[in-house]
Amino acid sequence: MDFPENLRYTKTHEWIAVQGAKAKVGVTQYAQGEISDVVFVDLPKQGQIVQQAKMAAVVESVKAAFDIYAPVSGKITDVNKALESNPGLINQSPYTDGWIFELEFSNPAELNALMTAAQYQEVVRQTPKH
Amino acid sequence: MDMTLETEPTKLPLHNEHLQKGARMGDFGGWLVPLFYTSIMEEHAAVRNKAGVFDISHMGEFLIEGRGALDYLEKNLPRRIAPLQFGQAIYMPLVNDLGGMVDDIIVYRMNEQKFLIIVNASNIEKDFEWFNARVTQGVTLTDRSGAMGLLALQGPLSQTILLECFGAFYKDLRRFHYKDFEGGIIARTGYTGEDGYEIMVPKDKLKPVWDVLFRVGAKHGLLPIGFGARDTLRLEAAMPLYGHELTDEITPLEADLEWAIDLSKDKFPGSTILKKQKATGILKKRVGFEMTERGIPRQGFEIQKDGKTIGTVTSGSFIPTTGKNIGMAYVPTAVAKTGNTIHVMVRGKPVKAVLVSLPFYKRKG
Repeated sequence: MDFPENLRYTKTHEWIAVQGAKAKVGVTQYAQGEISDVVFVDLPKQGQIVQQAKMAAVVESVKAAFDIYAPVSGKITDVNKALESNPGLINQSPYTDGWIFELEFSNPAELNALMTAAQYQEVVRQTPKH
Repeated sequence: MDMTLETEPTKLPLHNEHLQKGARMGDFGGWLVPLFYTSIMEEHAAVRNKAGVFDISHMGEFLIEGRGALDYLEKNLPRRIAPLQFGQAIYMPLVNDLGGMVDDIIVYRMNEQKFLIIVNASNIEKDFEWFNARVTQGVTLTDRSGAMGLLALQGPLSQTILLECFGAFYKDLRRFHYKDFEGGIIARTGYTGEDGYEIMVPKDKLKPVWDVLFRVGAKHGLLPIGFGARDTLRLEAAMPLYGHELTDEITPLEADLEWAIDLSKDKFPGSTILKKQKATGILKKRVGFEMTERGIPRQGFEIQKDGKTIGTVTSGSFIPTTGKNIGMAYVPTAVAKTGNTIHVMVRGKPVKAVLVSLPFYKRKG
């Protein structure tokens, strides 16, 4: 399983890629496997204010809906419109083409609470298998 | 993303076979069942285009026999039993005294005074109590649920595969009929909207049947099918599910199951209330809808019309083969017309849908 070193992670299986004052957010490779085939993504609105650890988007499989939490607080600056016609991008490329939204973070200190790749890998390792 | 863990559910007799085929297991009403093996998308398509095998051994089986068996069923079931031939099966709801549905069942006539009834797993205890409380002299009721296993072979290629596995003896088996098989039966029934069979055998015969099906079926594209696709397939075929479309409070008339009861019958539990409801008309009705805006309907979502709540989604899903988001619901009879627009409340937002005629899917030929 892939855990890119340049990303930060949440214990709820989102990743965040920081670039300057903005960051892209998606779900991890482990999470997409747990969700199984993504068939629908409910994206946030541009300009929407999101709070750390609160729901910012919804990813749905055939059978269930999964809340996606904002890793940090901020304002939505972009959303991945490609997911509306091709939600399977989350399964195919969770860390690249399958990104979900971009935000401008309001409190950089919140980033400190996020996990490194090694820490997140340990979380996944300790999660019971089905 | 939240991932909650389940409590300890009961394993199926073929648990290890499911794991060997790579199943993702999950809880279904207290049973640990395969949710999918590769993906719901692929499995749904396999049953529509080729064939699939489902392990539905969680379901319940009762035997009703003895010199009073026919009279007993005739008195307690909402359809006529006497006209059934030996080897014939019939679907119906089990109706309570208030006209609500205890369950939906299939009754198989084995001989003059011997019947097999297949019931939903979640209702085994409730149904047994229901039948047991009505038992009269000369009627023996036995719960065989723990002893029997059940596999369903479904899809357009299921006949080809079945005959290759078990021989031409089953060639002339008609829909809703069965023949004896290995201490159990093979019936031409199913829950997918496709042609297919349900194979009931003693638990120790399950594995050999499972193995031969896949050995022969592999070249026909036969796949194991999980409960995820079982639900999308039955939803697309508009088959009601107990706990969703069918409850102890909903009547067969409201559920659009009038075809599965016989109101010309003199008397059965709930018959007085149902005959009255037939005469005065139903206030709500089971309907099908298709989303015309983006959003997947799920069980429990509210349905609105002109800003007012008028009903609840009973089942809803994305459908793999068509890509449509569809569902079933109960709405007031006055609203229940094909072409009417409704709104499904998806996470607080009204999302537009249109009522369509059921079933969503009907097989050709």
